[in-house]
Amino acid sequence: MSSANEAIVTALQGALAAEHAAVYGFGVVGSMLSGAGETNARNAWLAHQSQRDNLEAMLTGLGATPVAASPAYSLPFPVTNAQSAEHLATTIEDGLTRAYLGVVAVNDATLRTFGARMMQTCANRATNWSGTTVAFPGMPS
Amino acid sequence: MLSRRQLLGVSPLLLILCGCDKPAVLSAPPVPSRQTQVLLDAVTAEQNLVWLYDKASATYPQLNGALTTLRAEHAAHLAQLRATVVEPPGKHVPTTVTQKPAIGKTQHDALIQLRGAEQGAVTTLMGRLNGASPPLAQLYASIAASETTHVGVLNALTARISAK
Repeated sequence: MSSANEAIVTALQGALAAEHAAVYGFGVVGSMLSGAGETNARNAWLAHQSQRDNLEAMLTGLGATPVAASPAYSLPFPVTNAQSAEHLATTIEDGLTRAYLGVVAVNDATLRTFGARMMQTCANRATNWSGTTVAFPGMPS
Repeated sequence: MLSRRQLLGVSPLLLILCGCDKPAVLSAPPVPSRQTQVLLDAVTAEQNLVWLYDKASATYPQLNGALTTLRAEHAAHLAQLRATVVEPPGKHVPTTVTQKPAIGKTQHDALIQLRGAEQGAVTTLMGRLNGASPPLAQLYASIAASETTHVGVLNALTARISAK
């Protein structure tokens, strides 16, 4: 595999790993919410499964073996109520924005655009969960 | 082989013999690279957005609280873009606002105008991605993601005002 393709595979594997964690995490988020919050969590869970499947197909198409999900994930903080569940949702989407920033760095026009659009999607979801915006989504602070 | 001292001693004689004038002085600054020009355009675009927010806030002070954070984020975008420019000789980072449209006749219209400006900014930034170095592409993508969230905030604000 060329070094350019290796860089692409590495970036996509990073995004896939983040999507695997998101699928797990939104299962936890949804279990702590009810009503509209629970619906939003379920919709996010379904969307992340779809994005996971898309990334797996992209990687397979490049001849790479998609990274597998971990059997379980340790949460970054205790999730015991609706507020902490929403904070987890924001944290997950922030992590995904960072992961897709890595895809923007690759030297492929189509993938760069894909990465940037996914950053917008994840940043919007993070804002919907948190109620706040940030100046540089995905960038290290 | 002549020593350095000997060469220095004869060099004026050599110059006269060859009829050489003094080296030509560069009279014009070099043309910035395409990537630099695109970055300078991005700086101008962000300056225009900051101006628009300032004008909207000045025209409708009741919107100040709602627009403060978005305006502050555009100021941060501008500062980061300006800091990324390495000023080529003879060329300076633009400070001029190049677009000063009239502000909408109502609060609602002003918010729609801001939302349109944000959407336009996102589209323009997406067009800047390819051809940029990886770090610059990441900066453009991050700013575009921020401005996408501004569209959502402005949508919500517009809906609140319409509901009153």
